[in-house]
Amino acid sequence: MDYNCCLANRSLINKLPGQKTAPRMISHILCSLTAITGFCFLFSTHLIYQARLFAIAPHQKGKVQEEPVLSVQNKQAQHFDWALNKLDSSVRRTGRITRTLLLRIFHDMCRTGYPSSNQALLLLRSCGSLLPEVPLCERTELAHMIWGKLQDLGAVYDASHYNALLKVYLQNEHKFSPTEFLSKMEEANVQPNRVTYQRLIAAYCNEGDIEGASKILGFMKMKELPITEAVFSSLVTGHARTGDMENAENIFSVMRDAGIEPGPDTYLALLNAYAEKGDINSVKQILEKIEKMEGYLMDRDLLQVIYSLAKAGYPQYVPDILSQMRYERGYIPDAMNLSLNLITQGLEDTAFQVFKSFPTLPSENHSETSMDYGNFFLQHCVHMDKPLSKLKQFCDELKEANMHSSPLQFTLYCALESKKAALAINLMKTMKEEGLPLRPHYSWPLLVGYQKEKNVQGTIGVLKAMHELGVEPDVETYTNYVLTNFDDIQTFRALLQVSLNEQFFIYCYVMAQFCSCSLCRILIESISVILVECFLLFFSTEAVGYFLYNLIDSMSDSEVQAKEEHLRQYFHQLKKMNVVIPTNIYRGIRNLLAAYHVPELIKNTEVSALEEELEKLKAEKQPIGNVLKQLIVALCAEENMQKALEVKAKYEPDMVVGGYAALINLCCRHDNVEDAMNLKEEVFRKDSSVALDTNKYLALVKVLGKHGRLEDAINILKEIKEKDIPIKDTTVTSFFHILNAAAMRGEVETVNRLHESILTLGLAKPSTNLCTPLITVHLEKDDVPSALEATIDCYKKYGKMPRLHDILCRLIEQGNTELLQKAMDFVSQERGEMMMLYDIFFAFLNTGKYKEAKKIIETPGLRARPGSLQWFAEKCIATNQMETLENMVEMTQKLFECDRDEMYYYLLKLCKISNDWRKAEATWTKMQEENVIPRARTLRLLADTLKNNGQEVPFDVPEVIYVNALYMPLQCNVTSQLFFFILIVEAYNILLEAQKKDIMFPASAYSTLIKALLAEGCLEEALKVKNIAETHIKGFTLNDAASSLLIITQVRRDYLKDAISTLKKVLESDMVPMSLAVIRLIQALAMKGDLESICTVEKMVENLATSIGLSRMLFVNNTVLAHIKKPATDLFLQYVDAGRVDDARFLLQVIIYQERNSSTLLDLVPDFPDMKIVYSYLLKCHALDNDVVSAKTLFEKMKSENIHTDEIFLKRLAVLLKNAGEPVPFTEPPESFHFYVNKLTQERQEISSHAE
Amino acid sequence: MAATRGSSRRVFELFVSQIHWTLATKELRDYFAQFGTVRKCTLPFDKETGFHKGFCWIGFSSEEGLRNALQKESHILDGIKLQVQQQKRRSFRSQYTNEGETDMS
Repeated sequence: MDYNCCLANRSLINKLPGQKTAPRMISHILCSLTAITGFCFLFSTHLIYQARLFAIAPHQKGKVQEEPVLSVQNKQAQHFDWALNKLDSSVRRTGRITRTLLLRIFHDMCRTGYPSSNQALLLLRSCGSLLPEVPLCERTELAHMIWGKLQDLGAVYDASHYNALLKVYLQNEHKFSPTEFLSKMEEANVQPNRVTYQRLIAAYCNEGDIEGASKILGFMKMKELPITEAVFSSLVTGHARTGDMENAENIFSVMRDAGIEPGPDTYLALLNAYAEKGDINSVKQILEKIEKMEGYLMDRDLLQVIYSLAKAGYPQYVPDILSQMRYERGYIPDAMNLSLNLITQGLEDTAFQVFKSFPTLPSENHSETSMDYGNFFLQHCVHMDKPLSKLKQFCDELKEANMHSSPLQFTLYCALESKKAALAINLMKTMKEEGLPLRPHYSWPLLVGYQKEKNVQGTIGVLKAMHELGVEPDVETYTNYVLTNFDDIQTFRALLQVSLNEQFFIYCYVMAQFCSCSLCRILIESISVILVECFLLFFSTEAVGYFLYNLIDSMSDSEVQAKEEHLRQYFHQLKKMNVVIPTNIYRGIRNLLAAYHVPELIKNTEVSALEEELEKLKAEKQPIGNVLKQLIVALCAEENMQKALEVKAKYEPDMVVGGYAALINLCCRHDNVEDAMNLKEEVFRKDSSVALDTNKYLALVKVLGKHGRLEDAINILKEIKEKDIPIKDTTVTSFFHILNAAAMRGEVETVNRLHESILTLGLAKPSTNLCTPLITVHLEKDDVPSALEATIDCYKKYGKMPRLHDILCRLIEQGNTELLQKAMDFVSQERGEMMMLYDIFFAFLNTGKYKEAKKIIETPGLRARPGSLQWFAEKCIATNQMETLENMVEMTQKLFECDRDEMYYYLLKLCKISNDWRKAEATWTKMQEENVIPRARTLRLLADTLKNNGQEVPFDVPEVIYVNALYMPLQCNVTSQLFFFILIVEAYNILLEAQKKDIMFPASAYSTLIKALLAEGCLEEALKVKNIAETHIKGFTLNDAASSLLIITQVRRDYLKDAISTLKKVLESDMVPMSLAVIRLIQALAMKGDLESICTVEKMVENLATSIGLSRMLFVNNTVLAHIKKPATDLFLQYVDAGRVDDARFLLQVIIYQERNSSTLLDLVPDFPDMKIVYSYLLKCHALDNDVVSAKTLFEKMKSENIHTDEIFLKRLAVLLKNAGEPVPFTEPPESFHFYVNKLTQERQEISSHAE
Repeated sequence: MAATRGSSRRVFELFVSQIHWTLATKELRDYFAQFGTVRKCTLPFDKETGFHKGFCWIGFSSEEGLRNALQKESHILDGIKLQVQQQKRRSFRSQYTNEGETDMS
């Protein structure tokens, strides 16, 4: 059938520009709507699971991860995401992970101390085929090393870890005993699951041990576990490896008998089996067969066949398979992966063939060369110590094929970079033979290495070799790389800088996260009431109103009643905060509360009191306008239209605009269009310049529209424009509701004309939302063709395509292939083929046409669009469409760049909502089968669902740290302190409550709260929280920041002894206090004159002082201050005696400034070794005081004592004298004062550097 | 004290980037000498790796040298294109003055 080849050849990336395959394809799919053809691979999708290289969940950009970074424990979660991201981006960019990266992440995890179970899973998972550059046995060793180390550090292993380890064994072709493995699991009290058995069967089968496999199969049957395609695939391999191809082929019919249609995995197993036998004809036949059956293997599968051929020693057949590649998206990283793997396993010639097959060869280093291909290949060959002759052969081929401009130089670069001196020297020899220039600096990377190791032999060896090559080292080689030592402090400083940048990065990250709404969603899931403050912080009071309305609306009766007190307090707080909720929202909330039987939450205004007052005023003939208005408003609030109208009629002459406005609004609400319009005309007769507010106009438009008075409604819109009534976001929302209401009534003309007026008057900009009613009105009448027309029209006019999904679904349901084709052509043309494919995919899914949906999503070249997938998933969740969602999750398994964890997260979300723990558990097993590393939030969701249903949670649940998310505003220096404070109080209360119920938070939450309380100066509360934490969490210690804040607060409260002991604890637990805390403490001690304590503290922080940026002067300075606070001034002499001249000098300066009393000073320091300095400071002091007389006396004294006066002294004195109008009795130094200061500083530096 | 001297005698500087690792100061200096007298050539090297950082500053003693160099459409050295542009601000350069500088003026 034409249909088949169309599907088989469809591909987005193979397409030539302008070529359109999609419409044709769609039409074929549409055919299948009516005539459903057999599609070999479209069997129950539950059964397709394939080990994937890319199953590490990619991190979504711009998406929130709920874990902010606030403390060590929190860093764990943050680190997980970071590591995941890092590994994933590595996989995506290059198709692999490097050992260095893996180890770096591993060591980082070890350093943070508490590896979580998903971190462990992430690392284990990476020890298999993702490390193509590492030899097979080393990969397994790596996995074992990680397994052991993390276990020692307290990682808890569950079935998913054992399964991951099994996968690694399989990928690394590691030989092991499945029975021992099972007994190890048993010892660890971990139950094997379906995936475990499947992989054990695979292990037996790889060894050709059918008997062993049957034994496991027996277990599975006993436990009534489903036998999936994966098991049959393994059996194919198993039989083949015993040499029994007949039985291998027989498995296919066994499968069919069992009701399972063989899928790509099974065919791949058979292909590999023939490949291992070198039976290329059978391989080709099977491939043809698959093609005929409309199925197709992915390039990735074919690459595996190549691997089998190469490993079994049949490289000659590799080109046959290479010619079958489709070059799907992701081909290059996959092929690179294979190529590297082959190099690692000593099959570099095949690797080179694979590399040369790359369709558009990637340039890896744009900055260096734009045309060089194969760098990765050469680099890995160097790393794998391939012989020089091989390297030269590859270089020659690359050069000849014009794929690389300078392969030898690049190879040399790799050798130098990896410090392979012998290879580098040999490469240079080759280069010399080829007439390529050799330069002295080629030796530098090698010399740098030896320099660091202080390896003199190595250095000399390189120099000799270079000499033999005729390259003499230049001056730079000697000065920089041979003769010098490197400076340790610089390295250290560089490190320090990195950590600062990281902090800044984290800060920005936290800010960015908080500002995104996704975080708010997380908050809703946790403690929603507090969200209001957050809203208020970042949005408007209106948002708070809507939020409250929605919040109350979403709560059940009993919940509202239960939380009545909470809400009351809450309203009270809002009132105190001067938050005014807009009246209409207030009314809505009130109605809701009334419906919940808690009306007393909002007090009634007193109508009767106002009536009495009105009567009284009337009787006293006093102006009643104001009270009348209040009464009308009060009646309106009570929704008493009848009475309000009566009151108005009675006191009409005294009516003011405000009263009319309220009344008009009331009539509109009560659908009383006549009175509303009459009132409006009435008030305008009184004053034509009067303008109502936006909401009242909108109410009029709404009611007029409803009563078919379209022209009047349009006139109101015009008036809004003419009177320049402010349009807010909510106004636009109201427009939508007005239009939507008309659409629901099926009034096409009303919708169209109102919409047109709104837009032509410029009251709103065209938006999807506002356009939606234009389509809704047709869909309501089930007029799908008109709806499609309307949406196309909408797109032409406004660039929006509202409700396309609904239209597509309806068309599919109606089987209207012609119109569906039209719609798809339109979408494809306007928004691109990718969007069209997603649109039709979702429509098929939604209408239960799963086979068709599957075909669409398998379109080669299609890649994941996280936004679209999320939209659909959330739609499914909101409408409780489990089956649809499940299908989507399964179908997207092989979708390029699909975030698998995210997909399963959606599924688990729905499981939680529908409280389906069985499905949740099955989902977890599926995740293991697919090798997906769950993020912490996914595991928590799963654990919650299981726990809620009284089920045991078979894994270590990551800590709940949402509380931290809550405190994030504390980190952001945003707006009002008050809100922070409320948040803190709220959090404090929550914590106390939680404690009563024995609910525990992670340590980080306590630290954060303590920090927040301290920041607000709530010492007692903070200490209470600290106590709670200490009694509940073993080994709880405040983190650095919280401790520092505690010190500061204690200092502020003048609890200096406590502060010192806190500092002591901090230092004892190897934490680093903030410099500010130490500074405050020292300052406070100085003010008390507590020299001893300053001394103690100085000793305590001695080792840290430089690293946290504490100046030594802090101590000197404050010691001085302490002395000043005390009568004794003997410190100076102590310094002098101890030879601490610098300290003495500084002290002197301080004393002089403080005391400004030269005589005492001079008495104090009669024997100071360098009186010149004393005099300089004295002069400075006199200059500051403008004390010319003293300065002159000092100058005379110095002359008499024959003390040399330096340029600074003379300059200062000259300036002082000149300013005082006195003559200068010496030659004034010509340059500026600063010139001499700089000069002196330089001199001092030179002296000190010489001294060093 | 290159900075103080620089203020007395103007330097006409080029910023060159995308320099292949095989090239060093000598090659760059020799190449740019065709446009005018090269007074300085600063190519910072990474002391950790022993490779240079891929960019350098070429100082001509005359504006003419600078102009000549800028007028040439593309600069290809050892078969690899160099990115050449006029150095706008001198302050940036100063932080590299200690790294691998050979000041020949």
